[in-house]
Amino acid sequence: MSPEDTFRFATTALLQQPRRAGLSLLGVVIGVVAVIFLTALGEGAREYVTAQFQTLGTDIIVVIPGKTETTGMMPGFTGTPNDLTLDDAEALLRRIPEAIRIAPISMGNDTVSYENKSRQVIIIGSTPDFFELRGIPIALGSGLPEGDIDRGTNVAVLGRKTAKELFAEENPVGKSIRIGEWRMRVIGVNGPRGTHLGQNLDEVSIVPVATGMQMFNRTSLFRIMIELRPGSDTDAVKREIEDVILDRHREIDVTCVTPDSVVDSLSAIVDTLTLVLVGIAAISLGVAGIGIMNVMLVAVSERRAEIGLLKAVGATQRQVLMIFLMESLVISTTGAAIGLGAGYATIAFATWLYPAMPAEAPLWAVAAVLGLSVCAGAFFGVLPARRAMRLDPIVALSSKG
Amino acid sequence: MIRLEDIWKTFVMGEQTLHALKSVTETISAGEHVAIIGPSGSGKSTLLNILGCLDKPSRGQYFFDDRAVEGLDPDELAQLRLNEIGFVFQSFHLVPRLDALANVELPLILAGMPRAERRARALEVLDSVGLADRASHRPAELSGGQKQRVAIARAISMRPRLLLADEPTGNLDTHSGEQILDVLGALNQQGLTLAVVTHDPDVARRADRILEMRDGEIIRRLSPAEISAAHPGFQREREGARP
Repeated sequence: MSPEDTFRFATTALLQQPRRAGLSLLGVVIGVVAVIFLTALGEGAREYVTAQFQTLGTDIIVVIPGKTETTGMMPGFTGTPNDLTLDDAEALLRRIPEAIRIAPISMGNDTVSYENKSRQVIIIGSTPDFFELRGIPIALGSGLPEGDIDRGTNVAVLGRKTAKELFAEENPVGKSIRIGEWRMRVIGVNGPRGTHLGQNLDEVSIVPVATGMQMFNRTSLFRIMIELRPGSDTDAVKREIEDVILDRHREIDVTCVTPDSVVDSLSAIVDTLTLVLVGIAAISLGVAGIGIMNVMLVAVSERRAEIGLLKAVGATQRQVLMIFLMESLVISTTGAAIGLGAGYATIAFATWLYPAMPAEAPLWAVAAVLGLSVCAGAFFGVLPARRAMRLDPIVALSSKG
Repeated sequence: MIRLEDIWKTFVMGEQTLHALKSVTETISAGEHVAIIGPSGSGKSTLLNILGCLDKPSRGQYFFDDRAVEGLDPDELAQLRLNEIGFVFQSFHLVPRLDALANVELPLILAGMPRAERRARALEVLDSVGLADRASHRPAELSGGQKQRVAIARAISMRPRLLLADEPTGNLDTHSGEQILDVLGALNQQGLTLAVVTHDPDVARRADRILEMRDGEIIRRLSPAEISAAHPGFQREREGARP
């Protein structure tokens, strides 16, 4: 019996019970779609993170108060560090030859109001270098003033959207606004930048760093961003930074983070999450396999007379086994094929809904899920097929059907 | 062609031991037409299953063409059934989802015959039972007699030498039954060895030899002429029923 004939025979049997075959096939489809779509999301998330940090440039070091034993993990939860101060920032700029830009950052959240309109926005305190570092264009007026970073002035650069919401068509430059209890003068408006590193830079208000620290009554900076000369050895610079901090704080109570290390650790998190999700999806494939087994067991007991006949006519045990195994395989491979199409359709739909989110199923995952579902069909098909194979032809022939 | 030597078939059911066949010894020559008659439970179907290599005797020797069937493994038995033996059943046992042609093709598929060749062969065999025009009909669209003719076509599609029929007319009206017996008779005329199990003396009468069984034993060997004498009542009843 040629494989082609076995396939044809199995197909006619399945088409005899289209709903039953269809439902067991649906289980496989769902499993395959789940795996393909979830790996695509995971891969997309990783690409997204990588892309975000790549726009930051690779020659960046972020100094965060608080130490961690394992770099890359969230600092700040490991004991009470010394304050990271503006003096520290100035010392770093002075003593690290590779540092070409330095942006100390303070951060808070407050109400910005103009006349009778107000908005709750994120207030970032920083220096003119911040605009360069984060790639924020100035659309109107000017950025933060150059000068002594210790001295706060009551000026603010508004995010594009914040400005629009408060001023509508009016030109905000030169206008007086309130940020919390503080009266500030608007000196500029950001150009569009959108969301970057999880912050929507169109919806912020940027003030001089000293002013920011006073506003929020902080003695410590949120972090310091340092841009290095291109091609600097970031590991060496990290050690230099730690030396400076050790000098000033008597301990290394900061964490230096590079985009690479952040990308690495975020990728690790994303990978773990993806694996967990894919694992769950793979379980659904196992469940689908059990569904196939159930359908095939029913088919074997319904078609006892047919099995008996096949044996009487001269089918070998192997041929009977292959006929029923082929039915399971047809269900699982058809399910896998439909699932493949549906999976890519789902991805296409998702990227159409959220164009910003890249999503592409990695080839290894597609290959693995297809292989897995075919194997599930074979694995769960063996038991029913063996049952068919072992049927006593005399008993089978005497059953109705 | 067939030699049975002291065949026993024993079923053990709990405490009870049931002898379905008791020391059956018989020889069937090539081209013979043999009928096996007897009441239900006399062992005639068990004997047929053993002849068809679907069942193995508990004791005794079965020789098919001087080949000891006992020594064959399951695959060799399947091969023997495929190539040498055809089966016709009382309830036809057609595969309902396949049309007549595909049902006839089934053994040819199992034998791995190329598609074009087996189509031609199946059609030819269907034609020989007078059903070429029903090739694309499913069993549900055929009458009982037509179904049985398709089943016979399937049984002879591999050109076997032995055809076993278990109550081939049991589910048919008299007219269709006659047609089936005519087809079987014609096949026998062409040299096919035929063994028919029946409890109908009318069917048995067509055979060259009749084996009458009771309680697992062959109690009488009759000629066609003798069967009318042995079962006169049945004969009258049958003829009286005819319009």
